[in-house]
Amino acid sequence: MTEKDYNESVLLYADNVYRFIVKNLRHTEDAEDIVQSAFEKLWIHKDNVEPSKAKSYLFTVAYHLLIDHTRKAKRISLQESFENDTQTAYQENKALKKVLHDALATLNETQRSLVLLKDYEGYSYEEIGEITKLTTDQVRVYLHRARLKLRNYLISPQQVL
Amino acid sequence: MQNINLHNYQDFLLRYIDEELDLRETEALLAFVAVYPAVGEELESLQSTKLDIETITCPSKALLYKNIFPVIVEPTTIVYPNKQKLFKKEKEKAPVILLKWWAVGAAAVFIFIVARYGMFNGEAGVILTKNSSSKNIAQKNSVVKAETSTASNATKSNAVVTSESLASTNIVINQRIATNTLESSSFGDIAYHTIQNASTVTASEAEHTIPSYNGSIIDVKPTVIAELTVAPIALNEAAETQEPNETIETIDTEAASSNRSVMVGAFEIDKDKFRGLFRKANVLFKNKENNKNEK
Repeated sequence: MTEKDYNESVLLYADNVYRFIVKNLRHTEDAEDIVQSAFEKLWIHKDNVEPSKAKSYLFTVAYHLLIDHTRKAKRISLQESFENDTQTAYQENKALKKVLHDALATLNETQRSLVLLKDYEGYSYEEIGEITKLTTDQVRVYLHRARLKLRNYLISPQQVL
Repeated sequence: MQNINLHNYQDFLLRYIDEELDLRETEALLAFVAVYPAVGEELESLQSTKLDIETITCPSKALLYKNIFPVIVEPTTIVYPNKQKLFKKEKEKAPVILLKWWAVGAAAVFIFIVARYGMFNGEAGVILTKNSSSKNIAQKNSVVKAETSTASNATKSNAVVTSESLASTNIVINQRIATNTLESSSFGDIAYHTIQNASTVTASEAEHTIPSYNGSIIDVKPTVIAELTVAPIALNEAAETQEPNETIETIDTEAASSNRSVMVGAFEIDKDKFRGLFRKANVLFKNKENNKNEK
């Protein structure tokens, strides 16, 4: 991968990676940090990454950075304070989408990542498995469980009322 | 392909939402849903869990580039205050005064006539005789040698112009032209051709050719010589016989040591200088003709 390929990867995939991370974390600043870290890793290892594999490499690195950040955040227990911060919290404009994104918050990091990778990026079970280091069957099962959980959240009496 | 039943339909539904079913499985599932409407309602509820694609822009995207610093410059409207002073107008081209060649030729002819016949001397029509050895006669007699230089041959034509009077001036043209075009041409054409090919020209032609702009004679009117002739002579006969109908005694002005000046009005012009002027004009005309022929 040349410098030109790297910059082209920034142009093509920076928004997608950021969307994936910010939907997971619901925190813009942390999402930006993770995106920068992911692209920095890509720049360091650009000689070992082919241009056609840049997207999957970025999502793989970003996902693992996300997991690491989530685990670290749980230990620090600062997640609740960030959710109430209007300056950094990700704002939902539409009610329907807000409910769905609230439903995403009820999923764990892996399930949420699977849903985001599947719906936003259109990855197959196999590709998601390569990113998340899961098998194809595991991806399918975890994803099905996530959808059922989301469905149950949406049709719960609290949401209906 | 596995058959869809009430025990495994949910897996098919979830795979259908994930777009993981092939064409045959999709058709089978839709057929199963058509049979069982409750399965269709469950399918709709699962489809609501699918996220819509959102367009989100990374705020710090510009910082991710390497060695590229995209700069967004907002356009500003800055008006130069003294813009009107910068405008330039094309300089008006100097008017081209077209030289009317016919006027120049007429003036040259007039000057030549004046020089030749001394009109401004107060004499109304000087009668020149053959044997007159007066100064006026010597002035009005001149030998003009015309040299033709065509592209195909080099011939010399001697045009002897003598005159006894304004009304009875004959031009005897002795030419040795060996061109095919001249043999069948009329006197006027020959004369015209002679003028065009003449390297040494008459005074009128000299006046006519010197100020040419394009290096070629634009309009040489055969009437120049025609004015000097009264009795047109068939040039063919003249070319063949080389003997004029009348033998006019010519006076070699170079031999006339007693007459070195020409009276033009009130001005006396040295004949040698005058002749030199004609020769220069002749050379100039010759060069221009050569250039024209080369083109």
